Amino acid sequence: MAAKDSPLKQFEIVPFSKTELGGYDISFTNSSLSMIITVAVITLFLTLTVKPRSLVPSRMQLVSELMYNFIANLLSDTVGDNGKKYFPFVFSLFMFVLIGNMVGMVPYQFTFTSHIIVTFALAAIVFIGTTILGFANHGIKFFSFFYIPGVPFYMHPLLIPIEVISYLSRPISLSVRLFANMLAGHTLLKVFAGFVVAMPFFTGVFPLVFIVALTGLEILIAFLQAYVFAILTCLYINDAYHLH
Amino acid sequence: MVDEHKLKELKDRIETAKSSNTPNTKKNKESGAGFGFKISTEIIAALVVGVGIGLIVDKYLGTKPFGLIIFFIFGALAGFLNVYRVMRRIEKQ
Repeated sequence: MAAKDSPLKQFEIVPFSKTELGGYDISFTNSSLSMIITVAVITLFLTLTVKPRSLVPSRMQLVSELMYNFIANLLSDTVGDNGKKYFPFVFSLFMFVLIGNMVGMVPYQFTFTSHIIVTFALAAIVFIGTTILGFANHGIKFFSFFYIPGVPFYMHPLLIPIEVISYLSRPISLSVRLFANMLAGHTLLKVFAGFVVAMPFFTGVFPLVFIVALTGLEILIAFLQAYVFAILTCLYINDAYHLH
Repeated sequence: MVDEHKLKELKDRIETAKSSNTPNTKKNKESGAGFGFKISTEIIAALVVGVGIGLIVDKYLGTKPFGLIIFFIFGALAGFLNVYRVMRRIEKQ
């Protein structure tokens, strides 16, 4: 495993206690704890801030309403009227990724979105869900999604595999984008934190200043990646309704 | 009425405050690295799928290098298609 003070040590999964069920390791790890904290923060924040239900909202209620409006507008812009049904799904996904990234920004806190298995599981849910939705809406005609009209017939043997591969690559690009952004950002923070200690005399101040700026950038990226995840989910839902 | 005059004045003030605030908020600046990253993941994802299909085809049909070669090329083309779609989406915005 990585050295004691390696910048990659922060991504190590540490089980609190070894638990096995039917040969599978289902230990409660620091990653699980991070996810539970995320869900708890989301639930508490949203329920407590919206509880007063005041017509003139308080600041915190305004934040909750802002998030609601943000996703509601995103759905109505990309999917249209059909999109209302999927609001709970997209909103949960967005909040889970966003707050998960933000919880990861707290020092000493584990970032579960920096593990590809987590982001791939989320992307797979989106991919399988939208594929089922496409078949539910169009039946067998959903396969015409891979058929581009207005192309000479001899091009189809070439174009249909390309379209299929392009479709199958969706969950991978969706998950890799989120995972790699978080992984790279957090590693970079740790590497520069190492410079602060390693550099002689007072020069350690410069990487420290850089880390402060980088932390701001990381918070921006945390938000941006959650937004990208949500908007791509919306686009895929839209594709399940409108072939081409 | 005096109130109406006052209201109109207030309305004007709100309008000017709004117009002076809004134009700068819509900044759609994205770093070059972020943009490059978005494009590269699209290509890599399509290549991964293409190579995966190629290896599976080779394994079960026993067509050893050809499945991999053909689906690698398909994967690369699908990657270009993905990039084209991303660019078109950006153009639209």
